Amino acid sequence: MRTIHPMSRAILFALLAGAPLVHASDSSDTMRVGDMQYGNGLDPRGWSPLMMPNPDGMSWLHPGMLRTPSGALYPYPYDLTGKPLGQRGDWTYWGLLQLGYIHLGGDRDAEFFRQYTDWKNGAALGLLAFGFANRSTGSYVEFRGSRISGDDQYYRLRAGRYGHYRVEAFYRDMPHTVSTNAFPIWNGTGSSNLTLPTGLTPGGSTIAAVQQASAAAPRRTIGLTRTRTGVSLEGELYRDWTGFASVTSEKRDGTRLWGGTMFFNYPFFTNTGSPFGGDGGIMETVRPIDFTTTDVNLGLRRVGRLWHFNALYTGSFFRDHKSYLDYQNPFLIHNVVGVPNVAPVVNGEYSLEPDNDYHNLRLELSRELRWRGELSLAAAYGTMRQDDDLLPPVNCTGTLGFSAGPLQQLIPCGLWNSSAALSRSTANARIDTQLLDAKLTFHPGRNFGWHADLRYYDEDNRTRYLAYNPLTGQYGYISENGAQGSVVPGETGIFDNGYYASSNVQIASAPFGYRDTLLELGADWNVGQSDSLSLVYTFDHDQPRHRERTRLDEQRIKLSWVSRSLGDATLRASFEYGDRSGGTYNYDPYEAYYSKSLPGFINAGGIPPPAFTVDAMRKYDMSDRKETKARVILLYPLGEASTVSATFYGSRDHYDALVGRQDTRTTGFTGEWDWQPEPNTNASVYIGAETTRLKLANVADNESVVGTVGRDDPRFGGPLYPLENYWHNLDRERDYNAGITFAHDFGRVKLDLAWNYTQSLSQLGFDFASPGALTFPDAAPLLNGRFPDNHYRSSTFDAGLSFPLTASIGVRLFGRYQSGSFLDWHYLGFGDTLVYDHRIYTDRGPQVHYRATLVGAMLSIKL
Amino acid sequence: MNRPLLPLLSAAVLGWAASAGHAQAQANATPAASAAAPATASSATFLDLRGQPPIQGDAVAGAGKAAVCTACHGPQGIAVAPNFPNLAGQSATYLYVQLEQFHHGQRKDPVMTGQAAPLSDTDMRDLASHFASLPPKPSGQADAGSRGAQVFLAGDPARGIPPCQGCHGSDALGSRAQPTNAPHPPWSTIPRLRGQSAIYLTKRLNDFRSQRIRPGSSNTRVMEGVAGTLDDADVQALAAYLSSL
Repeated sequence: MRTIHPMSRAILFALLAGAPLVHASDSSDTMRVGDMQYGNGLDPRGWSPLMMPNPDGMSWLHPGMLRTPSGALYPYPYDLTGKPLGQRGDWTYWGLLQLGYIHLGGDRDAEFFRQYTDWKNGAALGLLAFGFANRSTGSYVEFRGSRISGDDQYYRLRAGRYGHYRVEAFYRDMPHTVSTNAFPIWNGTGSSNLTLPTGLTPGGSTIAAVQQASAAAPRRTIGLTRTRTGVSLEGELYRDWTGFASVTSEKRDGTRLWGGTMFFNYPFFTNTGSPFGGDGGIMETVRPIDFTTTDVNLGLRRVGRLWHFNALYTGSFFRDHKSYLDYQNPFLIHNVVGVPNVAPVVNGEYSLEPDNDYHNLRLELSRELRWRGELSLAAAYGTMRQDDDLLPPVNCTGTLGFSAGPLQQLIPCGLWNSSAALSRSTANARIDTQLLDAKLTFHPGRNFGWHADLRYYDEDNRTRYLAYNPLTGQYGYISENGAQGSVVPGETGIFDNGYYASSNVQIASAPFGYRDTLLELGADWNVGQSDSLSLVYTFDHDQPRHRERTRLDEQRIKLSWVSRSLGDATLRASFEYGDRSGGTYNYDPYEAYYSKSLPGFINAGGIPPPAFTVDAMRKYDMSDRKETKARVILLYPLGEASTVSATFYGSRDHYDALVGRQDTRTTGFTGEWDWQPEPNTNASVYIGAETTRLKLANVADNESVVGTVGRDDPRFGGPLYPLENYWHNLDRERDYNAGITFAHDFGRVKLDLAWNYTQSLSQLGFDFASPGALTFPDAAPLLNGRFPDNHYRSSTFDAGLSFPLTASIGVRLFGRYQSGSFLDWHYLGFGDTLVYDHRIYTDRGPQVHYRATLVGAMLSIKL
Repeated sequence: MNRPLLPLLSAAVLGWAASAGHAQAQANATPAASAAAPATASSATFLDLRGQPPIQGDAVAGAGKAAVCTACHGPQGIAVAPNFPNLAGQSATYLYVQLEQFHHGQRKDPVMTGQAAPLSDTDMRDLASHFASLPPKPSGQADAGSRGAQVFLAGDPARGIPPCQGCHGSDALGSRAQPTNAPHPPWSTIPRLRGQSAIYLTKRLNDFRSQRIRPGSSNTRVMEGVAGTLDDADVQALAAYLSSL
């Protein structure tokens, strides 16, 4: 059971002590004041018990229900349930308390059932809401809260005066379950130190012992809770000037599945027959989630007759309360030389996210011009800074590695396990951004308008880090806490002018950044009374830094058509085409950040290091690309009370790459029918279907030349990347979803029904030029060109019945039946064991089939 | 979060509910407050004017039926005393709707309720058409810089007062409907205010402010919302301005 943060407690007491509060209206927040949608699994909308369609309609002036400009029906406006309005003077007030009980059945721990809701058997606060409003002054105070559990609840207080100011304070807990089927073997889950249970020896356990420990590990839930608190204020400062300020803090607390490598296990797996298994190790660990992000927003704006001004400061401050993850390794790590290591590798360590700050100041100025024109200017400066203490490269003690003849690969931990082993004790990382934007818009006539926009953005990465150990004079970084150096000769992760003189390792950070200049020209025409066309041309000139290309140019044109000339229907169609090209592609722009650029680097055996990658590789964000997008939205009012809409969309991306991403396609359709013949009845039907496809190609390196002449040859078709090692991968996915809702108020009883369905099918196929493309060529005869299909299906049926007992007391009975199935080949075999050789997994994956039920009863009391 | 939160919340709610219930009892004990509770359009006698089309009537026939009306409203529709409204040049549909409300009891008046009771629908249409056809009261000398002019033309956003001209027209002659296929307000039911008696306007605005017109019509609800933002000085200023137009 968690405790409330002191700040949150103060807010809650303020909520409870702040006597008169009222009004049920709920508008979306401006994001200047307030938080995102308030709701939970009981009521995603957050105020359904208060929502009573008002038969008076939308306005005392307009007959019938109104439609949006595109023809969709607005819903009936909502009013307070039964209007239990009290009144004293100019103040009116209302209140509603909904308390009840929830009971769960079936597979109540199914991951997808409780993914974002902390369902529990027991009492629940459906809704507590009350408010006060003053019709004379426009002042109001309102409160809303709901609680399913201590990890799934929200409370919000709003107060203000319409047209003058508004203040809001909130507290909320939001759960996110990642897995309910996890079996971590380590003690200390959720902390920074994972230790092995009794019976396992760090760095020296047999596979059977690890399997036994895994089988005996209790089932755990992996997930986190987001606790958000905040206070915000917005108000008129002076005449046309308004300002706002908000502070929001989000604390994330829990666990997450994580990695833990002791170098490879698959490629160096050797079935020696030893009970300790072979070589490296791969572990799925559990890391702690314990950090806080505090966001500060300050704004000032003026809306004058001609001039508009807006200033915005945004600050975000991330603080991680656990800066590392240490875990004990159960396996005996071997080296491939075949000699015993001088000491076992018993620990692994991760550096977790560092504390960091973000500041951004944005100024906007706009002025109205003749011909219904406007000039808008914007400038922004941002800086991201991170100067957290750097962790030492290792946390081991003693000496690791091995000694075998000329292979004197000994790792003295004492020279690497303190901050003295770093070139700098803190990160001193910094990225600055600048933005300049000028936009000119004119609508000189009713039927024609145009705009021009020039935008400049620069992201300057000022971070420079050199991986250099002044204690040893070596460059680089002991990788994987010494594990790699305990497995493979020459690959400890460091460079020097002695034993590691031929080791090509990364020695410095690459300060990625870019400068982007964008020009946009657009025009729109009204063709007759019922049709409008718009044409937008964009030229985007991007200058990446330290990347494969120094220049990328993309031209894009978009044509849109909106028509109301097809009877009562509204048609919106758009077509977009983009063509991206650029300067010369350098497959390896990173040489300066690797040790082969340092003096003293020696080509092993006179042969340069292996090529960085194949020269035909085109990274997807750097390659030439042709992109086509189209979308058609048709909306048709079907009589006075219903609307039918359909959307067809598709996109095609073709990348000019022999190696890399080659092709993506998306095609989809959604259809919807909404019906609201009267305030007390509404229904809707929704269907959606989408197919996506991603094709990529790669070439496996020829392992037989990695140590010989030709390994530095980057050519596609060369000795290191032969054409016979070429392979393709085609990922296809089909998604379907559907939903039906129906609600009707019979007078004494109100019924609401909903059914939602989601299905996904993912297929991964592949082909290869020859078995040489495979990591294990011997497996080629066993392959049929595709992985097993992945499935996901979920069906949820909700029903609710509400009826009054007295004028102020009512009952709501509700239930949910959810079933689903899940199959992902990544989890195959985990039903037998989670330990395979030196690989240990923690998550068995979502339930293959599940059925869960929920029933509940709520007593509603109008206060 | 601590488990004690829920009991704490419940206790706070129950305490608050007890005080709210007490306040509710007090409110119910006050006849004026109880009567002020708004009715809904679904009430049996509530008059929903949102779909009201402009009416047709026989002005000549109406002249023959108007003898009794002229005793107060004058033979030419200009009232004989300022506590009676001028009817000359008024919107025929507005006049018809008012007679209908007196006739059916949606609006009550010691004199007009009785006068309208025996009228047939045709009578009401004819009378409305007759008075609408009469020449309105001649224009006066209004002070365009007065507080009344400011409220009528621009409202007072800081106090939530909308500009009256939005419905009644910038010249207070009532809105002129624009042809459109979209749903639009029943403009013909909205009265001309230009040159109306200040005393009568004050009475009407105060009736709206106190929400004493029951069950009223959809237009009553509109005016109650607007008049609720006005204070005594606003009402006086508006009445003075409009009567001088």
